[in-house]
Amino acid sequence: MGNKLISRMTNAAKPKDMTRRGFLVSMTAAGVAFGFPRASYAAMDPAAVDGVPIQATGDTFEPSMWYWIDANGQVNVNIIRAEMGQHVGTAIARILADELEVAWEDVHITHVDTDEKWGLMVTGGSWSIWQSWPVYRQAGAAGRTALIEAAAKMWDVAHDTCEARNGTVTDGTNTATYAELVAAGIGRSFTADELAALPLKPHSELRLVGKDVTALDIENKTNGKAIYGLDAKVDGMVYGVPMLPPTRLGSSVVSIDDSGAKDVKGYLQTLALDDPSGTVPGWVVVLGETLMAAKWASEAIAVEWSAGDTANVSEEDINARSRALIADPETGGILPTETPDTTAAFEGAADTLEAEYTTQTVLHFQLEPVNATAFQNEDGIWEIHTGNQWQSLILPTLSTALDAPADKIIMRSYMLGGGFGRRLNGDYTVPAALTSKALGGKPVKLVFFREDDAQFDSPRSPSVQKLRMAFDTDNQVVGMEHHAAAAWPTGVLVPSFMPKGVNGAPYDPFAIDGADHWYSVGAHQVRAISNELANKTFRPGWLRSVGPGWTNFAVESFMDEAAHKVGADPLAFRLEHLKAEGYNAGSAPNAVGGASRQAAVLQRVAEMSGYGSTDLPEDTAIGIATTFGQSRSMPTWTAGAVKLRVDRENGEIEVQKMWLAFDCGTVVDPDGALAQCEGAALWGLSMALYEGTKIENGNVADLNLGSYTPLRMIDTPEMEIDFVESTEVPVGLGEPGTTVVAPAIANAIYNAVGVRMRSLPIRPDDVLAALKA
Amino acid sequence: MLKQVVLGGLAVAVVGAIGFGIYAYKPAYEPIAADQNAEFDPLVVERGRILAAAGYCATCHTAADGEPYAGNYAMETGFGTIYSTNLTPDVETGIGAYSKEAFRRAMHEGVDREGRHLFPAFPYDHFTKMTDDDVDAIYAYIMTDVAPVKATPTENELPFPLNQRFLQAGWKLLFADFGRYTPDADQSDEWNRGAYLAEGITHCGACHTPRNALGAEIASAQFEGAEIDRWIAPALTADNPSSVPWNTSEFKSYLKDGVATYHGIAAGPMGPVVHAGVRELPEADLDALSVYLADKVGAGDADPAQSDAVLASLDSNRPDPKYRRDLGARLYATACASCHYNTQQIAQGRPDLGINSSTNLDTPNNLIHVILDGVNGPEGMAGVVMPGFRTALTDTEVAAIAAYLRDARAGQPAWPELEATVADIRVNGPQAH
Amino acid sequence: MIDFEINGRPVSVDADPDTPLLWAIRDEIGLTGTKFGCGIGMCGACTVHVGGRATRSCITTLSDVEGTNVTTIEGLDAEAKHPVQDAWRNLRVPQCGYCQSGQIMQAAALLQDIPNPSDEDIDAVMTGNLCRCMTYPRIRQAVRDAATAMTGDTNNG
Ligand code: FES
Ligand code: FES
Repeated sequence: MGNKLISRMTNAAKPKDMTRRGFLVSMTAAGVAFGFPRASYAAMDPAAVDGVPIQATGDTFEPSMWYWIDANGQVNVNIIRAEMGQHVGTAIARILADELEVAWEDVHITHVDTDEKWGLMVTGGSWSIWQSWPVYRQAGAAGRTALIEAAAKMWDVAHDTCEARNGTVTDGTNTATYAELVAAGIGRSFTADELAALPLKPHSELRLVGKDVTALDIENKTNGKAIYGLDAKVDGMVYGVPMLPPTRLGSSVVSIDDSGAKDVKGYLQTLALDDPSGTVPGWVVVLGETLMAAKWASEAIAVEWSAGDTANVSEEDINARSRALIADPETGGILPTETPDTTAAFEGAADTLEAEYTTQTVLHFQLEPVNATAFQNEDGIWEIHTGNQWQSLILPTLSTALDAPADKIIMRSYMLGGGFGRRLNGDYTVPAALTSKALGGKPVKLVFFREDDAQFDSPRSPSVQKLRMAFDTDNQVVGMEHHAAAAWPTGVLVPSFMPKGVNGAPYDPFAIDGADHWYSVGAHQVRAISNELANKTFRPGWLRSVGPGWTNFAVESFMDEAAHKVGADPLAFRLEHLKAEGYNAGSAPNAVGGASRQAAVLQRVAEMSGYGSTDLPEDTAIGIATTFGQSRSMPTWTAGAVKLRVDRENGEIEVQKMWLAFDCGTVVDPDGALAQCEGAALWGLSMALYEGTKIENGNVADLNLGSYTPLRMIDTPEMEIDFVESTEVPVGLGEPGTTVVAPAIANAIYNAVGVRMRSLPIRPDDVLAALKA
Repeated sequence: MLKQVVLGGLAVAVVGAIGFGIYAYKPAYEPIAADQNAEFDPLVVERGRILAAAGYCATCHTAADGEPYAGNYAMETGFGTIYSTNLTPDVETGIGAYSKEAFRRAMHEGVDREGRHLFPAFPYDHFTKMTDDDVDAIYAYIMTDVAPVKATPTENELPFPLNQRFLQAGWKLLFADFGRYTPDADQSDEWNRGAYLAEGITHCGACHTPRNALGAEIASAQFEGAEIDRWIAPALTADNPSSVPWNTSEFKSYLKDGVATYHGIAAGPMGPVVHAGVRELPEADLDALSVYLADKVGAGDADPAQSDAVLASLDSNRPDPKYRRDLGARLYATACASCHYNTQQIAQGRPDLGINSSTNLDTPNNLIHVILDGVNGPEGMAGVVMPGFRTALTDTEVAAIAAYLRDARAGQPAWPELEATVADIRVNGPQAH
Repeated sequence: MIDFEINGRPVSVDADPDTPLLWAIRDEIGLTGTKFGCGIGMCGACTVHVGGRATRSCITTLSDVEGTNVTTIEGLDAEAKHPVQDAWRNLRVPQCGYCQSGQIMQAAALLQDIPNPSDEDIDAVMTGNLCRCMTYPRIRQAVRDAATAMTGDTNNG
């Protein structure tokens, strides 16, 4: 019983002649087994050569669309998530395999294309495991149940006398493998209600979840065989490189003079794109028989544009606008916190504290620059080959751009050479599609060089935040306000995802998450404000940890400031306000225990780090911070401590060690979880000290590594990471580690040398200036 | 190689016209027919091949993409372009009509078969030191093994009166010191062999000895270093600026493999000298050359590995967590250190830039050339490539790296106007497009 | 035509001699294990070996490698079992994996020159290789493990 997906894959995978016009490559010694890929596969199975998924042997049993088992007992698990380093397929397949009771060696994964049946396809928000957990467990339980029933029927015994383990059913006397049972034919199906009622294995019986297995994608990521979007190859394809207009929006082409490119060998033509979707206005694409032909030609082509009206916008302009918006109480959406009206608290306050925090623009700089290959296949279907995190978001846009119905467009999943949120916004597929459309469906591989990738990034918006706290006469906290202004990625790209605030105004939850913290502070107002100047200057992006990456810098720095103001120890001050009362008590299923679990990880990290010890060398200190990861709806309880030394001479910060503690519920993939947290924490460090660009003349100022300086090996401190053992619902781990590092650093700097850094990134010159002030 | 040799034609102004006319006149030698040469002893031919290589004759007598020895290699002189002659045994356009005597006269006196004076871009002022035997061997090699190619070189693009060949005689009168090499009785045989090779066939002084305004080597300043094609040919005397003194074994590996662990690699104009040339010499000759050159720079026998300079350089090369403070240090850490890093000792092929010649010279040219255009497979250490950063780094960035190396690594006083020099070499260097 | 050897096999590539080796390897020869990250020699994703030495292929031109031996991740070991690759798999170093061909090639070259690297040595050499997933702690450990495995092998053999 073939599978529709598989057959389409193999159709597309025709052997390809290695020789292309004008570019003869002759291997002077003919050879087999030399490993030159000859075909244009999408990397569907990251464990397979050329990514070609496993083919079923004989009839398959397909208890749900999420997997099948074939007559050899091989299990193929369908994965709708993008693989970008989380080993997500392995984690999800493991959930299923555990419940299904099959041997790990028999498990294969397939990253599927964008068939409608898969529903919403998005990989982000650290949602994958959390969302997949119930679905794949049920699906596994269904298979196990059906196989046990089939065996019981075959032996004519009661099915509750049978047990499944390692791909085999037994009743103590008889045994049958899944392979035999499937070969014999199983037709059982389940209604939704039946599915929901299936008994799941108790935690104590889990055999793969929480244990170490080697991720299925690792092998090919160490031998050069993993296939990323940039590796896509299609017969007859030409290469395109973009020439970007002076502003992200509102530019248009006045004239193109390609006379200078005419004698570039392999140069084909230059197109001004006509984009009905409005995604890439004013775009020019240069085509060549080879990538470098297109690139060299583009350097010799003169394009005159009329620029959009953001051509002179600077980061300072954007921040000034943010400040003006914050000052106007009528702007923004007010979040449904427990007591959003803070008027009385502040009016009656005996004392108040106020501070402003800013963060600079940050680039994704995922290592694989964005790219896409597009063409119309023999069946008239538009194929987009690329790595992408949110296929469901970009497909309607592609439909408009191509003027083709959505079911005539399909996206093929490749490995992502880093996502970090950049590829949630699939805007980079649109110019590839438009170019192919202009060429009548001819295959075009559009490659962004690094500088283009950076300029076209959907960066993390610069932000301005104002925080206030009200104290009564006993120095007790009675109210808090958090006003945050930035560009709104969700507002720009998926306004339908925006809830309405208590004042009726919609807000971008991803641009404010984190501010609605679990501290009990009396009246608590959180106001998210959209900076429309920023929104139209660049396409704001979701970037690893999104809002919590900067809101928590403010919240957790401010908690320290408040503690110091009232003469309390920052750790004790936090614990005192993590009361798990009322709205902060938490609720099932995702936030059982509420603030008490946050208090627990904070205490854990304080112990791990020896926070509070007084025998540290001069100008050396530990700072702490705690967050709840991404959002109140699926909190990952997170705490971090950073030990650093400040060099008073030059303002250099030497980060000596970082400690992190997480309570993410059940840990599905311990090694993968650790890897995610290591990476996330280092991202946090990178954005705290080393990364940051600025908007200048309507674009980001830093386009490559000559001036954009993310963390490297030499900057990597020692880390200790701990997970709280738990049987609660597993929540996300891709981002939470990012959120605590910057505030812990700012707090440590304060503890070390007594200066308060309120702006990210914290550069040595800023520290020096603060020390001198 | 000798692109920047100034032509000697101006010498006419200072020479008495009449006596000069007599001096300048050279008779033609009769042409020989193609079959007039006897068969040459294969051993002689082989010796000739090695000598021709050691004199890297082919480098200047082969045009880019041209047939070997067919000439037409363009040399910028500063006054105009001249083109090298066809050295293949083609009777009409090459030297097929040269008798052995005619060839000797060309090599020893700089006069062609027809009696015309050759431009001193052809280093006959060195070849004059060679024995007849050696010159004859080269002749035997060319006549036997070089394929005749019919190719008339492009007319030289020189203004009058520089294009008047007989005026070259004046230059000779003033500057050339004709005559075979005479051994120095105070020196060993090996030293004398080295001197014979260095001053004769390998014509080291042609690049490493400064020239006067009329393009003649200044005899009193032998091997004191000079600029060539915007590269620096460093001094081969006690003035050599290396932080680790050159010694015999460093010279030997440099001349043989194109790489000296404590100094660097043969790049730029020196690339072909080693790779297309000198390394062909027999082991004993390379030893002799090394002995001679080591004596010229006044090297001692100290083991460079233990020298203070090396130990200090290794120490300064340790990774610095504060590398971000300086642009040059940061770029170096990210773009260069992965190859140019050494730990306990300096490994061959991991040039240590603290002691490298290019960072210790008085001008930054060699360093900038290599940063911009790298070192390709056939240059330097054969088969190894240093990529060029021409398209990757801005002038400011290249200058920052150079300044960092000069200061933090070599511990030398800053080079002035570094960024302007980068810009100049980028635009005017050999690989500028 | 530029002639050189790649992974032990002679190859002639007919492309502009200024073409970066990276794109010749990927697009002309068809070996895509070598990756593109920055194009300016500062991320290391494109690292291959030329003459046994780690070389950034994005700024190396085709003409530079005439006559040389080039090794890519596909040719580091016929079975993909170079001790560095083994160490990488044992520690599950890769996340997205995109930088890892370059990291592995750089590490293999490092261990050839410095068989027993200190942490400082590892930092100095590997800092040129950016990993945007920040797998640095594991890379460090994997280099140490590979060093142990390799020097152990030599001692035994
Ligand atoms: S792509 Fe070559 S070093 Fe970054
Ligand atoms: S593993 Fe993703 S960039 Fe290194």
